[in-house]
Amino acid sequence: MSGKVLIVDDSALSRRTLRRILESASYEVVEADDGMTALEVYFLEKPSLVLLDLVMKGMYGLDVLVKLREMDPNALVVVASADIQSSTRKMVDEAGALAFINKPFISEQVLAVVEKALAEGATGETN
Amino acid sequence: MKLTERQRDALSELINIAFARTGAALSELTGHRVLLEVPEVNVYRTAELRGALAKFVPGDVASIHQVFAGPVAGDALLLLNYAGAVQLTDLLTDEHKPSNFLDESAREVLTEVGNILLNACLGMFGNLLNVHVTFSVPRLHLETLDELIASTTDKPEMHYALVVYTAFQIRDSSVKGFLVIVLSVASLDRLIQEVDAWEAQQGR
Repeated sequence: MSGKVLIVDDSALSRRTLRRILESASYEVVEADDGMTALEVYFLEKPSLVLLDLVMKGMYGLDVLVKLREMDPNALVVVASADIQSSTRKMVDEAGALAFINKPFISEQVLAVVEKALAEGATGETN
Repeated sequence: MKLTERQRDALSELINIAFARTGAALSELTGHRVLLEVPEVNVYRTAELRGALAKFVPGDVASIHQVFAGPVAGDALLLLNYAGAVQLTDLLTDEHKPSNFLDESAREVLTEVGNILLNACLGMFGNLLNVHVTFSVPRLHLETLDELIASTTDKPEMHYALVVYTAFQIRDSSVKGFLVIVLSVASLDRLIQEVDAWEAQQGR
């Protein structure tokens, strides 16, 4: 499967890691290092999927998720965070995220989640 | 407030569980076997913290600091001596030529490793306590131990520090470090109660 993926993370290391994983599977990648930039890039680039960190400088990831879904109710968003709390997963599920990936990233896991999210988006099975 | 041997064992096991996943995933990230040794856990009064850490970190300290808030609140730090921090980032970034300082790229790697480890540990506490903890953006500080302790124990309600001693084993090297979680009496009390309840449920 191919598509354009927007990576939103204030850690350059995490962005590089995700870019490497996604490009190895032929996805096109665009990046944003904070929430405000993410909203702008989303509007301009119209990516197929967003991989979104939660704890970032400026806008918190959950607020970015809500704004993205306001801008585009069909936005496909997967949260990618170091936070392992069940309560956090519940919050992002309720806010409309399709899935949750924990850091540190494992290539196979990331690609499986991205592929599944894009397939669900293509068949309209989004939240 | 002192931990009993059973509480210390239970806390060590909980942190060990959280670290096991993190170690495995860091291995995937770096392509090297990364082991996190079974942690040793102690509780100190914040006034005793300097003495407990000084032997290990005589010079400058590299710390990744995250404030956490919620029903259990405090300051969480991953603490490494400067040379250890340089060694850890060299090992994780596959630098063939050992360096003597933390450049921007190394600082970034260290901050993210701290973020992941602190979240693994505190997130596990959040799950155990059935509470939601929110985290601040992680920040890397390079300072002396005295400066570090002064800046993290300056809140009057923060009386205790949960100190987790651990070692990262990567390739043939071992880098030792501490996770320090500074808590109020109420937060530590709540944590210990839940650890007792968790320990009592094991094997049932």
